[in-house]
Amino acid sequence: MVKPRVHRLTGDREVILHRSAGGEGRNQSTVIGRVKTPQLPLIVWSPSSPLVAIAADLVDRGSNVGFCLHVELNSTEEVDCADAMSQSDIRKWFMKSHEKGNGNSASKPAKSAQALPEEPVQGSQDNSGRRKTSKYFSAEKPKDEKEMVEVPVKRKTQTDSHEMVKPSPAKKIHKVDDDDDFVLPNTKEKPVASTPRKKLKSGSGRGTGQKPLDIDESDDGDDDEVKHVETPSKSGGRGRGGGRGASVAPSGGRGRGAGRGGFMNFGERKDPPHKGEKEVPEGASDCLAGLTFVISGTLDSLEREEAEDLIKCHGGRVTGSVSKKTNYLLCDEDIEGRKSEKAKELGTPFLSEDGLFDMIRASSRAKPKQESKKSVDDADVPISKKSMQKIELKNCTGSAAPKDVASKSLAARASLDRKKIQTAEHSALTWTEKYKPKVTNDIIGNQSLVKQLHYWLANWHEQFLDAGSKKKGKKANDPGVKKAVLLSGTPGIGKTTSAKLVSQMLGFQMIEVNASDSRGKADAKIEKGIGGSNANSIKELVSNEALSVNMDWSKHPKTVLIMDEVDGMSAGDRGGIADLISSIKISKIPIICICNDRYSQKLKSLVNYCLLLSFRKPTKQQMAKRLMQVANSEGLQVNEIALEELAERVSGDMRMALNQLHYMSLSMSVIKYDDVRQRLLASAKDEDISPFTAVDKLFGFNAGKLRMDERMDLSMSDLDLVPLLIQENYVNYRPSSVGKDDNGISRMSLIARAAESIGDGDIFNVQIRKYRQWQLSQSSALSSCIIPTALLHGQRQILEQGERNFNRFSGWLGKNSTFNKNMRLLEDLHVHLLASRESNSGRGTLRIEYLTLLLKRLTEPLRVLPKDGAVREVVDFMNTYSISQEDFDTIVELSKFKGRPDPLGGIASAVKAALTRAYKEGSKSRMVRTADFVTLPGIKKAPKKRIAAILEPSDEGVGENNEEAAAEIEEENLSDTEDLEDSAAGEKLQKELQSLNKKGVQVHLDLKDSGKSSAKKAPTGRGKGGSSAADKKTTARGSATSAKRKR
Amino acid sequence: MLWVDKYRPKTLDQVLVHQDVAQNLKKLVTEQDCPHLLFYGPSGSGKKTLIMALLRQIFGSSAEKVKVENKTWKVDAGSRTIDLELTTLSSTNHVELNPSDAGFQDRYIVQEIIKEMAKNRPIDTKGKKGFKVLVLNEVDKLSREAQHSLRRTMEKYSAYCRLILCCNSSSKVSEAIRSRCLNVRINAPTEEQIVKVLEFIAKKERLQIPSGFAARIAEKSSRSLRRAILSFETCRVQQYPFTSNQIIPPMDWEEYIFEIASDIMKEQSPKRLYQVRHKLYELLVNCIPPEIILKRLLFELLKKLDAELKHEVCHWAAYYEHRMRLGQKAIFHLEAFVAKFMSIYKAFLIAAFG
Repeated sequence: MVKPRVHRLTGDREVILHRSAGGEGRNQSTVIGRVKTPQLPLIVWSPSSPLVAIAADLVDRGSNVGFCLHVELNSTEEVDCADAMSQSDIRKWFMKSHEKGNGNSASKPAKSAQALPEEPVQGSQDNSGRRKTSKYFSAEKPKDEKEMVEVPVKRKTQTDSHEMVKPSPAKKIHKVDDDDDFVLPNTKEKPVASTPRKKLKSGSGRGTGQKPLDIDESDDGDDDEVKHVETPSKSGGRGRGGGRGASVAPSGGRGRGAGRGGFMNFGERKDPPHKGEKEVPEGASDCLAGLTFVISGTLDSLEREEAEDLIKCHGGRVTGSVSKKTNYLLCDEDIEGRKSEKAKELGTPFLSEDGLFDMIRASSRAKPKQESKKSVDDADVPISKKSMQKIELKNCTGSAAPKDVASKSLAARASLDRKKIQTAEHSALTWTEKYKPKVTNDIIGNQSLVKQLHYWLANWHEQFLDAGSKKKGKKANDPGVKKAVLLSGTPGIGKTTSAKLVSQMLGFQMIEVNASDSRGKADAKIEKGIGGSNANSIKELVSNEALSVNMDWSKHPKTVLIMDEVDGMSAGDRGGIADLISSIKISKIPIICICNDRYSQKLKSLVNYCLLLSFRKPTKQQMAKRLMQVANSEGLQVNEIALEELAERVSGDMRMALNQLHYMSLSMSVIKYDDVRQRLLASAKDEDISPFTAVDKLFGFNAGKLRMDERMDLSMSDLDLVPLLIQENYVNYRPSSVGKDDNGISRMSLIARAAESIGDGDIFNVQIRKYRQWQLSQSSALSSCIIPTALLHGQRQILEQGERNFNRFSGWLGKNSTFNKNMRLLEDLHVHLLASRESNSGRGTLRIEYLTLLLKRLTEPLRVLPKDGAVREVVDFMNTYSISQEDFDTIVELSKFKGRPDPLGGIASAVKAALTRAYKEGSKSRMVRTADFVTLPGIKKAPKKRIAAILEPSDEGVGENNEEAAAEIEEENLSDTEDLEDSAAGEKLQKELQSLNKKGVQVHLDLKDSGKSSAKKAPTGRGKGGSSAADKKTTARGSATSAKRKR
Repeated sequence: MLWVDKYRPKTLDQVLVHQDVAQNLKKLVTEQDCPHLLFYGPSGSGKKTLIMALLRQIFGSSAEKVKVENKTWKVDAGSRTIDLELTTLSSTNHVELNPSDAGFQDRYIVQEIIKEMAKNRPIDTKGKKGFKVLVLNEVDKLSREAQHSLRRTMEKYSAYCRLILCCNSSSKVSEAIRSRCLNVRINAPTEEQIVKVLEFIAKKERLQIPSGFAARIAEKSSRSLRRAILSFETCRVQQYPFTSNQIIPPMDWEEYIFEIASDIMKEQSPKRLYQVRHKLYELLVNCIPPEIILKRLLFELLKKLDAELKHEVCHWAAYYEHRMRLGQKAIFHLEAFVAKFMSIYKAFLIAAFG
């Protein structure tokens, strides 16, 4: 069966077109031409017609497209034959071959074969690097529909003028081909066998190919014709699609139809329909080298990760989105997603999974041929050397072209020798030391930060030390200039190295203080300081420079202090940060601080004194490049993909990457992608899985296939959050274990079981936390995560309109904190009620039974009574129970239920305003009540401040009537005998308040100013000013009044 | 002032319901030997009122001069020091507090406070009332550890300190503590008693109540006097003069639970469960204790339920309530109950109606 396929090659490179005759052995492939493909893809196209493989070099408005017509006969015999041929010609050729029909398709290509011999000459003139492409493009399956569409779209982008014209012709052509395949499989396979004929056919292609170079413009007409003829025969569906649909349907009863298009289903990618059914081929390890793949949608038998691994194992590269550099879009069905759109736009060829397998398989078959070829290459090394170099150069441009086998083996040989020498030399040094950057430019990534650091350090002395008088003024004017710098970033990305290098470059003498030194607060005693604590010597150091300010710096070595690992200043280094800050303030030398986590609580104060430079992780490409250099100089043979993988696995930690590489180099001299993966598999497990990922996996459609330990790992990834997420989302899953479930009974009972299990998890959790029974954590994970997910894993569905189909974050945390807040507020209210001594109920009772009535008493009058009366009544009631304005809000807040009318509804805003005014009114004759003296739970504020807050007239609190005031005073005296201090203060203030009216506005203003800054929960956050002002005013009279009141 | 508080009897003599208990208590304290006391009974039956009246009986009016304090205790618990904050209500002779507010650290509260009280023995050395009283509320919510430590300290400091414990259910108080106390069960007042009290209040307030109205309130109050008085006043705020068929407004949260129950009965699906979860959260956030939610929900469901299922549903409610106490995150268990109910009820519906 012959399957045509369109492939695309990108990159600035030249392709050798060669013809190989399967029957005579692979090593006899003849080079028939070279095609240059600057930036544009080479399309390999294998029509059903046998024996033809033609590549065409198209020059079309400056852009080249190579068409390679390519046929694979069967699994063992392959014929590649290429020819250069212009675009239009190919189209003509297609048409003709179709016109001729199925039977004699051989006759047409026969002509093209004649022209073949000429081609090599032309190609060799190009004198370019060589590349064997055709062997990768084996094809077996009929082309998918989208692939047919592919060609025209692509051409459209290249030849702007042909817009609407193209799509249909190509489509049609393929269609016909498909028909050929299906109708006449036998007729085609026969002619294939003989090589001479092959040549003939490809020759004919060539012959026609020469013409169109002149008559380029003429294809428009052709296109039009073609279009008219062919549009009707559109569509028709593909056989495989139907088959797949059928196979999917039985599994869980959700066919593809369940999803509404690719976008809606995002995040619930399905299982490969034939998962594990196909044999994954083994191929040459670099057979995909230089090719970039993008995977889209569900593949036929491979999981996406598996496919990725497969490609990487064979030297290919997998990227996330389609770009110009992408060679193939790997997908088995067109899900109309963004990737496929983009791919069509860019003309990226589509590749099915089988195609991929074929490529890999082909390479393993081609291997012997390759080997022999290599020997040929080796023989005439002098000739090919030049071209090899060229390829090397081109590789650097980023397209990651494959290394020629010859060059590789050569390099390997050479580097092996080198390695022996080198290892003898520096076996003692670790690579991290050995390959430390020697100049600033060697530092990977963060160049701009390094520059900034360099600039800062270079200008430090001018900035801060130049002139003593100038310095101060400058500092005041320019707060942006900081005397110290704080480098932050994850470990192993070169912070310390950059600091050292920059200092070295500028000729500073470095003094490094790191976590191994004690960095506590400097001792005040000088005798201790001199020999003892490091901090003292830092102080010394930092201030000493003062003496040398007037000297010539160039003679005097400049020093820089590098404080490494400042966030590690902990228990032993008491006051270390504060001391460091004061050192920075007085410092006469620049200080570079280095930390991992800039947002650490410890560094909060330090951050204000430092210029902040946050180092970022270098990209994997950057790292791979550097690692490659290292590997090369160590004589290690590694391919770039492997290094990128390594870089990715260590997540930006250059040091770790080098260490790993070093370690691997001890046991092997050739490192492949697979080795890296194996090596780092263990460590990869330890890397953080976000709770969301864990939950996604646990609930995933195929979670049933996870092993128990995998599930355990997932649930243990965050033992607090994962259960919460599961609890939040478990109702959303439609369990796949339940088949057809008309009425949802089974689902409901599964949910009930899951809910119970989650409850078990909660009980376990109490045991763990409360009684520290940590041995139960596995059981906890089992019951809170694994059982619910095992019961309910399946497809996620949304329960609310407009909800996104992703796992929600747990609502419990938020609700719990609201609950705690409300509880605190309720407690405040409770305490106030108790303090009013009118009520004696518990907090629970207060909420359950009193609250409804309290609310009624507080709001009902406002609704029904006239404004003034209502307000008076409410304020009176509040005073009786010492309900403050916040308490009022609490009551309202606690009575609010979602979906029920607002408890404050129906109250005119004018009345509300009047109520607020009434509170303020009260401020003039405000009494200090017992309730005000009670420190509320969780509030650690002296009563004085609270009272000062109450003094503040404009804000909150309830006014008290004078009649009640009398009663209050009495009560106060009774109760306050025990805390004299408080009552004394209170009484002072009371007195103060009484005189306040006379005293006039000034006091008011004072208090207002000082109190203004407070937060909403007023009494707690009063400024100091308020209380002190009040205190001052009262001291004089205070003693007298309190004495009087004590009786 | 609310009627509940206004007409709360201040002395043992004023008591309207439980007069026999009051008289016994009076005798008990006048005979000078006051043992530890454990009051238990349903809420709204007058335990607190009796306790306050008793204290007044013992200490006279000084017992009413209470001070609310938010005290911080520094507790030395082995290797670390724990700061505990608790609101206390204290007079010179007694301290009232709610140790279960301290959560699982209630043990320390119990130990510390009793020690502190033992330290400050009242100076009133006339000999007779040489003790302080410690009123502990909600003893049934104390953890087992706290109850154990209470047991020891009760004996150790019994010379200076009497405990009055107050709880709803004595079954949750350990046997050892119960045996160390004089247990006083306070029954819920009968509906007639409630009606009597309501009429008394109406008379004092000079209100006209139509016949049968008080009875209706009493009926609705599920024999909680406090609730009866509160809803009586609510009715008064809502509408006066009363009419005999006036609606007695339920508590806000009860209405909400009613809503939830009818939601559950209407539809049993994951979607509905999800909505119910939100409503339950709403209740919890508004500080309604989860046990009460569960209980109330069960009642509402039972009202609408087929007799066949009642037994099973009750069983599950009890089951999940127990688990709720063992656990910490109440919502999990409430939801589990709802899910269980839904699955049972759905199966039942389909079996019955196809």
